[in-house]
Amino acid sequence: MNNLYQPVNCEITDIIDESPTIKSFVVVPQEPFSFKTGQFVELTLPGEGEAPFTPSSSPAQTEKMEITIMKAGKVTALLHQCKKGQKVGLRGPYGNGYPVDEFAGKDVYIVGGGVGLAPIRSLFLTLVNRIKDFKSVVCRFGARTPNDFIYKKDLFGPWQKINGVDIRLTVDKANGDWKGNVGVVTTILKPDDVNISNSVAVVCGPPIMMKYATLKLIEFGFKPESIYLSMEKNMSCGFGKCGHCMIGKYYVCKDGPVFTFDKMKPYSHIWD
Amino acid sequence: MEIVFISRLKPLLDAVSSEAELFVPEKSGEFYIYKKYNPSKEVVLNTIRTCTPVKEFLFPIREVAAVFPKDKEPEKIKPFAVFGLKDCDIRSIQILDKVFAEDEYKDSLYISRREKMFIISSDCTEPGQSCFCNLFDGEGFSKSGFDLNISPIKDGFIIEAGSAKGKDFIKKHSGLFAEVPSALISERDKNRQKTRAQLEKNSSEIKLDGQVREIVENAADSEIFDKEAKDCIECQACTRVCPTCHCFYLYDASQKDYFVKMKMWDSCMRMAYAAVAGGENPRKVLGDRIRHRLMHKFVYFLDRYGVNMCVGCGRCIDSDAGGMDLRQVLKKLSEEKINKDKGKTKVVK
Repeated sequence: MNNLYQPVNCEITDIIDESPTIKSFVVVPQEPFSFKTGQFVELTLPGEGEAPFTPSSSPAQTEKMEITIMKAGKVTALLHQCKKGQKVGLRGPYGNGYPVDEFAGKDVYIVGGGVGLAPIRSLFLTLVNRIKDFKSVVCRFGARTPNDFIYKKDLFGPWQKINGVDIRLTVDKANGDWKGNVGVVTTILKPDDVNISNSVAVVCGPPIMMKYATLKLIEFGFKPESIYLSMEKNMSCGFGKCGHCMIGKYYVCKDGPVFTFDKMKPYSHIWD
Repeated sequence: MEIVFISRLKPLLDAVSSEAELFVPEKSGEFYIYKKYNPSKEVVLNTIRTCTPVKEFLFPIREVAAVFPKDKEPEKIKPFAVFGLKDCDIRSIQILDKVFAEDEYKDSLYISRREKMFIISSDCTEPGQSCFCNLFDGEGFSKSGFDLNISPIKDGFIIEAGSAKGKDFIKKHSGLFAEVPSALISERDKNRQKTRAQLEKNSSEIKLDGQVREIVENAADSEIFDKEAKDCIECQACTRVCPTCHCFYLYDASQKDYFVKMKMWDSCMRMAYAAVAGGENPRKVLGDRIRHRLMHKFVYFLDRYGVNMCVGCGRCIDSDAGGMDLRQVLKKLSEEKINKDKGKTKVVK
């Protein structure tokens, strides 16, 4: 019988500085390790700790995985100090992921902010891989400053040119030669961005952004069951036993981390 | 041969301990705790459950969950036996089995211990003031879930096998046992009836209006949890002694030349239990944690696994330094529901 707690041995082969507080780590597992977009993994820094992350790379890329990490606590601060060649461990993948097949034939309206673009990148690459299956992929992303955007190289250039993709960006505070919108992400959400009756929305970002973006989408007429939220809670075991990530009756790790808003709505403090 | 008689416990215990490491109850102050069997010390059958939960035999307080970078040879679990478990303990094992052994994710650490465990249960003869298993389908004795069950009677003990392992044991040690005359079976049944009556008397004050599930689910917005929180000192004892609470905490540590991932009991009553690295915490407020604990036990777990995550053993009541009594909380929630329902009826009129 497999030991649920045993990580797969991996090595960090590259580290990319994304923003002052965010880095992407290229992780190469020593045995086959695949995932569905939106599922998460538990990354162990041996002897130090473990934390949950949703890979930011495409699931189609199987020999290596990219994990984008914001310095937020003890383990992530230590990960930020790691160098190429660092041995790490991976457990998972866990959870449900995004139901991409159910998005077929629809406008996919993606609202993201900050490091929330990490899971979104994996989803975006998955959607783009079969872009003809969707009516459109409409992205509205925000960051604190232009420098705080992650994946700048792709985001400011090639991704904007993909047929069927519409991207708009905003920053809370402009600097340098920023010519785009200034304001929180909800200021660039417009009711005619997508055909709401035939759309799904995906929201991922800091809790406060997710809250107000969700409320805005509801105001536009989105049904709660068409809004997909990536709930980031304290997922520790990853398989619905340890209890830390529970929101109401749900284990976010096992029943999520992707939930439609109707499932979360009955519970208080979901954004806390 | 499924039911036999033995006049003294010692020969039985010696036979068990010849095959497995045996743990027996021992009085410690006013409570019983488990100790390793010492053949030179007389064992008296416990009249009530121990104050510690049986889960510690299957899901230890702290254990090595994984070794890094290479998986260590799993610890060889030797056969062990626990004597004197009560029906609440047996039912708590069945609840933990659902989580760790029967769920789609199987916990090999739990299962390896569970497979090596020989369960010797016994009838309750003097349920305590905090016992309320009868509110959760308990009767003070087990009908299944044990390898052997002991029923004390005036002149000795009736032993019943409840599993193939138990039957094999009786067969192997048949020289120790005698046949049971039917008169002794009726004596056992009378004792059981007495215990049942005692349990009912204990909780006669606790009249609940309807199913516990409905009462607790209805209390999603109740202020009773915040009121209870005023006396709670967050000692977390209720979750530690609870035989069905199974929250755990994973942490990493370094050894001389390897790394370990440890698994340790945790408590949903702990302030930072649900907090994330960014500082958000959906259950910062103690009353919300108490509410979540009860919702988990009586609503969420029941919906997911088909059984309440409470066996009514009352350990949480004995251990609670703040004086919270789960029976009283349920009673208050029930009364609140009655008042709420009355209110609704008025509006309709």
